[in-house]
Parts: sequence; structure tokens; C-alpha cells
Amino acid sequence: MTTSFDQRALATLPSRGELAQHDAAVWNLRLRRDAAAAEVPDWEALRERAAALKAFTLDHLDELLIGFEEKARAAGAHVHWATDATALCRIVTELLSARGARRVVKSKSMLTEECGLNPHLEARGIEVIDTDLGERIVQLAEEKPSHLIVPAIHKTRREIGALFHRHMGTPEGEDDPERLTRFARADLRRRFLAADAGISGVNFAVAETGSIVIVSNEGNVDLGTSLPTLHIACLGIEKLVPALADLPVFLRLLARSATGQPISAYTSVLTGPRAGGELHIVLVDNGRSALLSNETQRGALACIRCGACLNTCPVYRRAGGHAYGSVIPGPIGSVLGPALGGAAGAELPHASTLCGSCSAVCPVKIDLHGQLLAWRGERYRPPPAERLLSLGAALALRWPVLRGLARAALRLLWPLLARRHSRNPAEAWLAARELPPLPKHSFRAQWKQRERGRE
Amino acid sequence: MSERDDILARVRQGAPRRTRHPGLHPPPALPGGWDVFAAALAGVGGEAHGPYSPHALGGALKELVRRRAEGGRAVAEPSAAELAGRGPWETAREPATAHAFADVGVALVKGCAAAADCAAVAVTESDAPHRALPFLCQRLVLLLPVSLLAPDLHRAWALVPAAAARGHHVTWISGPSKTADIEQVLVYGAHGPLGLDVVGIAD
Amino acid sequence: MNVALFLPCYVDQLAPDVAWATLRVLERAGCQVDYDPDQGCCGQPFLNRGALREARALASRHLRCFAGAAAVVSPSSSCVATVRRRFGELGVSGAHESGPRTFELSEFLVRVLGKTQLGARFPYRVAMLQSCHGLRELGLGTPSERAGGELAPSPLESLLRAVEDLALVSVERPDECCGFGGAFSVTHPTLSARIGRARLRAMADAGAQYVTGTDASCLLHLDGIRRREGFGPRAIHLAEILANGASVPELAS
Repeated sequence: MTTSFDQRALATLPSRGELAQHDAAVWNLRLRRDAAAAEVPDWEALRERAAALKAFTLDHLDELLIGFEEKARAAGAHVHWATDATALCRIVTELLSARGARRVVKSKSMLTEECGLNPHLEARGIEVIDTDLGERIVQLAEEKPSHLIVPAIHKTRREIGALFHRHMGTPEGEDDPERLTRFARADLRRRFLAADAGISGVNFAVAETGSIVIVSNEGNVDLGTSLPTLHIACLGIEKLVPALADLPVFLRLLARSATGQPISAYTSVLTGPRAGGELHIVLVDNGRSALLSNETQRGALACIRCGACLNTCPVYRRAGGHAYGSVIPGPIGSVLGPALGGAAGAELPHASTLCGSCSAVCPVKIDLHGQLLAWRGERYRPPPAERLLSLGAALALRWPVLRGLARAALRLLWPLLARRHSRNPAEAWLAARELPPLPKHSFRAQWKQRERGRE
Repeated sequence: MSERDDILARVRQGAPRRTRHPGLHPPPALPGGWDVFAAALAGVGGEAHGPYSPHALGGALKELVRRRAEGGRAVAEPSAAELAGRGPWETAREPATAHAFADVGVALVKGCAAAADCAAVAVTESDAPHRALPFLCQRLVLLLPVSLLAPDLHRAWALVPAAAARGHHVTWISGPSKTADIEQVLVYGAHGPLGLDVVGIAD
Repeated sequence: MNVALFLPCYVDQLAPDVAWATLRVLERAGCQVDYDPDQGCCGQPFLNRGALREARALASRHLRCFAGAAAVVSPSSSCVATVRRRFGELGVSGAHESGPRTFELSEFLVRVLGKTQLGARFPYRVAMLQSCHGLRELGLGTPSERAGGELAPSPLESLLRAVEDLALVSVERPDECCGFGGAFSVTHPTLSARIGRARLRAMADAGAQYVTGTDASCLLHLDGIRRREGFGPRAIHLAEILANGASVPELAS
């Protein structure tokens, strides 16, 4: 019954050392989140408010989208609608080609990752440079990000140093984080200044004013969108909030949940293009409207991409982001998986102990573990062997006669089940654990014996 | 039907309008004040100065800018220059392309609101018409009248003038640029400024 | 007070001592305990895998079986969580009515009967395993994720603190999952073992000789790892500690 997720976990963090290092580094973010939340006297009330705001948003999403489009256009921005990944790639390519833009700087956007934008543009001769340091690192390494907020958390300074040496000409063997960052700063600065266009994601889109809100710690979003004349902002349709005054609720939760900082270094509220510039906003569906109609699963659309659920998840910490095989890893990735995550996404809801820690840290109170359980029921398609076993076990549990037979069989088979063998159905348990000894009688049998003795 | 209409139609099906807007969040009971702001700013890698009276401001700024500029170019946005008076900085002129500021050592910009608990200072389009300047400079100096300092982000948000809130940009700045992407080692000056100073101006 | 005993299938089959201990503890606390040997399974393993049809059938049968009981008590927080939190979602009739009458053992003793002192003695260093279902689904204690407010001790902790000579050790990451997760333990054995090993290691580092908690399933999983790896505290169910009274169990190798 071993699934490929488990095998990928072993391949992603193969040694005890890598496992311990990844687990400790990610848990550290959970601890920082705890410390930051403790300093906010109304933390739990804030979560309630944020959850209510998102529930309102999703319930009125079409109205808010129309309102957002109207206000954004009135402020001078262009608004495009993309049904899916193909449409997004097409729209962005057309915008860039029409202006002869060949050098693009891009700040973090999981959506563009989801839609495969980079490879699409690169295949058409457009250079795309990811400017978040972590994203730049994985771009140079030709890997996928392994964490929402710290995309290169799986890489050591030595590996990064080697990458920079190969691609940016840093001295061989240089692995000091500060010096490596300075090199990247200089390199990316040149690219910001030379770029024809900037592409960004959007953290929140405000319906009341048609504004887009983008946060960063590095300043790359602002550099990438204020230097080139063309700014293309891509967002999933669920990223709306009703009004400007609603933003502080989310901003007080976001950075604290993500890294334990009180707020990101830069929070920019952009309304319309800057003087002499062009702003194109692309609203992307790509399966979100369908998810909205799923009563049990639509809650996942409230996600503000903080990564707190990843940091607290015992499975994520000991499997690593790459084990998920989906654009977004961790609990939220597993919740979105069956709807938006392709083939690998379908089995992700089973890669969880349902401990519930994710739901307890989620700043917008998504019932993450409840939704994982719900997916298991909604998408139940077991292999025939499991189906038979399940039916048999259920019958045995409902009919006392069958139960007695099952117990007798268990008594006979137990010594065999306890022995390690590739054909042993208990092998998955035995790989790392001993089976408990089988007591001679079940409690039920002992009880009946005692009752008979009393009569 | 256009792509837009298709998307909206699908969204409409999943948006039953059952819930109500929960209303504004009541601001938390936090002490606020300049000392709280200064401590929070230090926590995010910045440094607070003053507050200075309007008379003493000029002298303090000259000293600070000389120290931070390290011989390089210093540029003040017009509203900051008005507050700061004359000193070892030029006033940013219109029109100027963003690229003209690529070699700026220190930039002086005025803030229009701030939140003490997270040390975030709001900078609007009218105070920072050259949007790239606060990000291209090596070090940023923000001028903040202390009367515009609120205890928390909700109240600070309300201090941003409505007109400015609808201008091209409002950027909340908390500390210098930073990253921890390499083995979670904190480094200041990822792409934006290496350092941030906030100079308080008393009434 | 009349109480109906509700046993997880694996306790019935693999850990009958836990069932006897639960019975003795409830009787010592002044309850009249009834046990219906025809009870089946609450359906959790099937629900856990997504086999909703089987889960519903077992849930209905469970509700019929316990229909007349004034209070139902189980030495398993995950089974109780299934009845209280998931039966309603399954759409089984009578679910809401049975929910509040079903209690996990420590919860029942402390919050319903108001008893923490049961005359038990257990002179060892003990680590607590705060089972996830108990903590986060049933609210048996304050989870570490919660910000602000005091951390109220769980009924498990209150009961253990009242046991004579028992030394509770404080473990890092006090409420991290043990890695059992039901079917997860066999569908994802590498991860299940990694998580379990880490918990055992943390408890061993804290100097625990025993690990105890409300769920025998978690304890069986950890103890299985201990016996394979050769390190870590020995597992014992809360009921067994409380039932010991004046007698001291042997520290068998």
C-alpha cells in the first residue's frame, strides 16, 4: 500500500542529516510565528475577522470582481480576463510582443508558476529573470520552489555559492550569505535598470478602489514595477478584498504568520499606472470558479499564501516541498491539489495524519484538515484489493459471527504477519516498527467469560 | 460570450451572497508612542532619531545625511526638502526618469502616517513622486511628524489622506530591504536600501 | 452514574488490558459500567480512507447500539472525535443527539465527574502524548498554536499531576503529532516512522521512562518504534496508570 508520495519523501530528504536540517529550519519559522502572534493582543479575533472577510468576499465574488474592474479601469489600468493557464500565457505574450519587450523582470507569483509562464515566454525568446532572491536561486538551479515563502530552503550556502559562481561569476568557494546577497543585488540591479517590462503577482486586489496590493521584503517588486514602463500584474480571481479599510486585518496577520515579522518591509498599494507607465492587470480563473462551487472545498480560496501551514506540518517538514510534485506544497497545496494540482495533486489528501495543526495556525481559519478528509471521501477510488478488504472488514465489524471468525484467523496468521517479508501485507507497518504481541483473547471474549462465570 | 462573461457566469454560480461584511476591526489596545515605534524599528533593522523640534531638525539631518551618504549623492523629494531646508542634498526635479536616480546614495522622503507596533511608515505619491527613488537609493531617510504616528496599523491607515489613498501609490515601509533566503541568515539590503533611518519631527 | 463503555476495535483486539483498566477506573470513580459485547466500530478507519458508505453503515450501527445510554465513555479521543465531530457530516440520523453524550475517558473523569484524584501511584518519569484528535478536535487542552490567553491544562495533565510520585517531564514541541494518522501509518510508512522516531527521541531526551496518553493507537505506534529502534520511553495508556492504585507495575525489558 506504499504510495509514491512516501517514496518521493525519501528521495527528497534521503539522509538523516538533510531530514533533521530541513525539519529544524522550517520548524524555526513556526516558532517565530508563535512569538509574533503572542505579541498581538487580538490575534484570535483578527483571525475571525479575516475569515469573515474572506467568506464575504467569496460569497460576493462576481460583484466584487466587476467593481474592481470598473475602478481599476477608471484609474487608468487595463484589465484582462484569462480562463486558464493557456489564456494567461497568451495574454502576457501578446502584451510583451506588441511592445517589443524582450527582457522581463518578475517578482514572486505562484500563479504564474502554476500557469507555466516562464517556460512559455522563454520558448518565445523572451528573457524572464525571477527577482526574489530565493526564486532566482531555484531559477538558476532549474528546480521548482520547495516552500511558498522561502523557495530555496532546501539548498545549502555551498550549493548556492556554486550556482552563483557558475552563473554570476562570484569567486569559487564563496558561500557567505551576505556576500552572495551583495553579488545578487548588483546583478539584479543591472537587470532592473535594463528591463523592458515587469511582471508581478498580487497579494490583494481591492474592489472598492481598483487597487492592487503587493508585498515584499527585498524591494524587488517595487523596483521591478517602477523602472520599466510596462507592469503586468497577474492574480487569481480569489485574491479580492472588499475595501481599503479591510487591508490592515490581513496585513497584521500575513507577515507574522509567514516569518514572524510584524509586517513585510514593503507593502505597496497601487492604483492605476504610474505617470508615463502602463498597468495591465490579468485576472485568472484556471479552476478557481469551479472550486468556488464546491461547498466543502471553496474555503481553500481564502488562502493568503503565508506558508504557516507548511511550517507547522509534520509531514511537510519531513518530506520536503519537492515530494509533493505540485506547484504549492504543504497542507494548502494538498487541499488545492485535487482541484488545481494535476495528476500528482489527486493523491495528496492522503499524505497527512490529519493532526489539525495547519488549521490551527491558518490566519484565515481555513479548515484545512477537514477539507483533506472531505477530499478522501469525495474522490474515493481505491484499488480493488483495498475495496475488498474494506468491505470485508466492515462486514466483520457489523456481524458478531463474522467477527469471531476473523479473530480466529488473526490468531492463526499473527506469527506470520509479524515476520518481515515482501509479500507480507503488514510489511508497511514492519518496515520501521514491531507489531504488538496478539493477546490470547480479545476484551470481548474475556468479558463474556467473566459474565458466564458470574451466572 | 467573452472570456470575461464566461468566468463571471461561473463565479456567479458559486457566490450565493449568504454572508454579510463583518465590519471594521476595532483597533487593539496598544500603547503606541515614539519609544514603541523606535523599538519596533530597531527590531526590523532600522534606526529612529529624535524627535527633533523644527529648529533642530535641519542640523540633525545634515549630520545624519553626511554620515549615511559617505561621499555619495543625496537627493530629497520636494516635500521632504521643504521640511529639511538646505543641506548636502539636491531636490529631485521634474521630470526625471527613474534611471536618473540609479547612483543615489541617500534619499530623503516624507512620510504621511506610521504605525508604532510594526514600525511601518506610509509614503504616498505626492511625497514620493519619483517612485523608484526610495528603492534605488543605498540608504533611505524618512521624515515623520510624530503627530502622524498611530499605535497600530488600523489607526495609521485612517491617517492616510483619502485623496492620497487613491493616488497611484501608497507604500508602507518597515525597515530596510532584507532577505533570509540563504540558509535563513538575515541580510539587509537585498535589492532595496541597505539601511533605513526615520527622523521624527516634533510639533 | 451509569456509563456505557465504548471500546476502539484495536483496544478490544490488541490491548484488552487498557479496556479492563478503563473499567476499573470508572468503577473506582463511582460509575456503574455497562458493556455491550455486540458493539462494533465507530467507522473511523473507513472514514479516514474515504470509504463513506462503510463509514455510514458502521456509524448508524454504533448509534443504534448506544441509543439508550446516558453517557458513553471511551479510552480513545480519536473515536470520540469521530462520533462528536464527524458523524454529523456523514449525515447519519441521530448523530447530533448522541454527540454530546459521548466522552473520552480523561475528559469524563475531570470535566463531567469533577475528579482528578483517583488514588493512583506511578513512581516514574512520564511524558505526555497529547493526541491530536483530543487536543484539536475535542478541545482537551489548549493547543500550542493558539495565541494569547492562558494555556489551560488538559484533563490528561490534571489527572497525571494527581498521581502519587509521578514526575511529568516537559518535552520539546509538546503537541506535535506522533505520526500514526490511522491508515497513514501504512500508506506512508517512511514518513510515519520519521515523525514517530522524532517524538520518541524528544521524549527520550527529556528523560522520560514512560509515555502515556489518551489514545492506544498512537501509543502502539510509538511503542512499536521503540521496540524496533531500542530507545525511548515505554508506552502505557492513561487508564493503566490510573488503575494501578497502590501497585507498581514491573519495568519488564
